[in-house]
Amino acid sequence: MKILIVDDSSTMRRIIINTLSRIGYTDVVEGENGKSGLDKLGQGGVEMIITDWNMPEMDGLEFVKTVRGQNAAIPILMVTTNAAKEDIVEALQAGVNNYVVKPFTPETLKEKIESLLG
Amino acid sequence: MDQSEIDALLAGGGKSPKKPKAAAKAPEADPVPVPPPAPASAAHEEPHKDGSGHVISELDTVTSVTERESNKVMDQLDQISRLVSRQQQLITDMMRHEGAQSPGVQKAIHEVMSASKEIQDKVFEAMDLMQFQDITRQKLERIVHHLRQIHDYIVDLLGSGLKSDTERPSISHTIAQTGTTPDENKAHADAVIEAFKSQKKG
Repeated sequence: MKILIVDDSSTMRRIIINTLSRIGYTDVVEGENGKSGLDKLGQGGVEMIITDWNMPEMDGLEFVKTVRGQNAAIPILMVTTNAAKEDIVEALQAGVNNYVVKPFTPETLKEKIESLLG
Repeated sequence: MDQSEIDALLAGGGKSPKKPKAAAKAPEADPVPVPPPAPASAAHEEPHKDGSGHVISELDTVTSVTERESNKVMDQLDQISRLVSRQQQLITDMMRHEGAQSPGVQKAIHEVMSASKEIQDKVFEAMDLMQFQDITRQKLERIVHHLRQIHDYIVDLLGSGLKSDTERPSISHTIAQTGTTPDENKAHADAVIEAFKSQKKG
């Protein structure tokens, strides 16, 4: 299973990659903002997306809306510091399947990924 | 005291350096002409001379330096993790060795393996804690956003000067409330997701 991680923080990408490898997902591609995320998605093979919200160039919300315009089925998990109710609702309306607020535990990320893939 | 004065002090074995002659008080009979102050507009031609641009740029530097240094810490943690995995492999090999089959040796090896697993868990825990870097970066970005607003407001008020450079298009507006304890917002987020899904179904 190939997973696309989109986050402008290289530290955060590494943390997510480490957590994924501990639960058995090692096929990962990375994007540092929405634009590069779309490029990586265009290369094919991605079966799940984990994206941040606040990023330069193209933010996560815009990225999710663009992806949903092209692919209605791919599971998308948003991992962000935005914890306000309005933010969560806005992300869900844009097409996010599930939502994790930073900072998170590996157990939470695992639980959310498994619920998306289950 | 500037760096040249500190260097002179160190070179002189702790004695205070003498002030350069040019800085000595000029005789009153022969006053040194003082250059006129620079026109107010000159300060605005260089945006970083007014202080705010400098502060914004310094904060930007802090965020990139902390990210770079955090990645160095992550590199070290990765390295420790690989070494611990190698150690665990060696312990497993040792357990199968003919000379290690006595109950006492097996018990000791199991204890070493258990300690090794504890180290691995702690390394993973430390990696997860590095999330603070991203959260701190976003908090600094929020401060930079406010500084830019204040700077641009003052420029508007004075009717002259340069506005700040274009900022990131997307920053967290609620980052000030974000803590550093993992999952402290999980229950709240899950409740919102559940309510949204039920509403959609209904």
